[in-house]
Amino acid sequence: MKIFQVALGILAAIGGFVDIGDLVFNSAAGATFGYQLLWVVVIGVIGIIVYSEMCGRIAAISKKAVFDVVRERVGFKAGLVTLIAAQVVNLMTLAAEVGGVAICLRLLSGLPYRWLILVAVFGLGAVVWITSFDWIERIFGYGGLCMLVFAVAAIKLKPDWGAVAHGFVPHLETKDTLLYFYFAVGLLGAAMTPYEVYFYSSGGIEEEWTEKDLGLNRANAIIGYGLGGFLSFALMIVGGALFLPHGIGPETLGSISLGAQVPLGEIGLLLALIGILFAVGGASIDTLFSGAYNFAQFFGWEWGRYRSPAGAPRFTLGWMVLLVLALGIVMTGVDPVQLTEYAVIFSVVALPLTYLPILLVANDRAYMGRYVNGRLANVLGGIYLVVILAVSLSAIPLMLLTNVGQG
Amino acid sequence: MSEELDIGLGVVDHQLLDSDGRRCGNVDDLAIEGEPGKQAEVVAILSGPGVWRERAGLLGRLAAWIGGGRRVRIPWDEVAGIESHVRLKKKATEYGLGRGDDRARPWIAWIPGSHR
Repeated sequence: MKIFQVALGILAAIGGFVDIGDLVFNSAAGATFGYQLLWVVVIGVIGIIVYSEMCGRIAAISKKAVFDVVRERVGFKAGLVTLIAAQVVNLMTLAAEVGGVAICLRLLSGLPYRWLILVAVFGLGAVVWITSFDWIERIFGYGGLCMLVFAVAAIKLKPDWGAVAHGFVPHLETKDTLLYFYFAVGLLGAAMTPYEVYFYSSGGIEEEWTEKDLGLNRANAIIGYGLGGFLSFALMIVGGALFLPHGIGPETLGSISLGAQVPLGEIGLLLALIGILFAVGGASIDTLFSGAYNFAQFFGWEWGRYRSPAGAPRFTLGWMVLLVLALGIVMTGVDPVQLTEYAVIFSVVALPLTYLPILLVANDRAYMGRYVNGRLANVLGGIYLVVILAVSLSAIPLMLLTNVGQG
Repeated sequence: MSEELDIGLGVVDHQLLDSDGRRCGNVDDLAIEGEPGKQAEVVAILSGPGVWRERAGLLGRLAAWIGGGRRVRIPWDEVAGIESHVRLKKKATEYGLGRGDDRARPWIAWIPGSHR
């Protein structure tokens, strides 16, 4: 039974971790710098594991999700600023993911994009309304597993494994240093997107975790995000082995899925599109719920999908309004891939205000009793806070200096 | 001094739960009474958008205006316990808490499947 539960967590993490931001930044980084930036993915994945484990533990022991903790530790004023920043980024990300779902549906069906945006929004709304939290995790997790086709594609493309291995060692062999760092910041931002911890911690409370589930929490975080990182490697290797030599910039989801079609044929394309559809659809639901969770937790409303929609009415209205707003944004015709780049870069700015309260509370015996952070979690948590701070200070200048990665 | 600090960290901005375990707002502030030379005492919990006005400048006033500006005063005697959340002795409606959720419910309740 435990193994089954871990498996569910792993599936959920794959579906939630590899979203449109990861697809775009990993493929584009591979197409631009080959395998040189693989090491950044490792750093990002360890970071999200450290902080997810921490906020899962906080949820299990103190029954508090991230925005409870943010408000309690930084107070109403700074908390409100964090909430606004988080919600702006959440909405941008949600719109990008919904647009991504519509693009996948268009590539699979050939129907007009704008109609498919409506189909995507109503489809996601219906799934959230009808389906339980467990089943949402299962459906999108299992579907997202199709993304493993990119790992097969990476092997089939016969990359230079020596160069791949060298990519895991931090190094700089380009003259375009600014662009290199822009991608490094983007990859870190995509791996450590704040909505992942909002969703993960609230999910722990949805699933009514207690101290008995701490092992499950650790396994979910390490194996789940580890597998997500593995898929990120695969996407970057495909970018480096296929797109870079041919001078292709994977600027659309269609061109990213070419990475599976070229080495594996039509079945590769189909699996890639289905995998992307479920991964991006899962991420849409993660961001949708995260937005509603954040409002409810900050203002003290009833929340959770474990309540009926009428049992947590403002939470339900919250996600409905966010979905309609996202629909409005995507309907303007904005390019979801471009929106993703902005969302990821802006999310980096909101990261310190999200992660600092988590680290503080994970060290507070009044909340955590004997389950406070150990030395390893504190050292890693501290190091990552410094990294996040440095990255958040450089994100916007790098975006402006590199013309959003266009060089 | 250390006890005041504990109340600041352990009560203010924490979740309020009613006697049924329903989430019904946050401890947005505390009413404290005292006289020179006597010990100050927490006499009530203040909750609701009306309290935000004094806590976050212009942004707080804007949030209070959007939220309707109500404030609820719950006598400190009504606190049943303070764990990770602050538990109250009676139902939320008896204090006038959770009205936002109660008002929003009819907007959701008519949709088929809203009680599952």
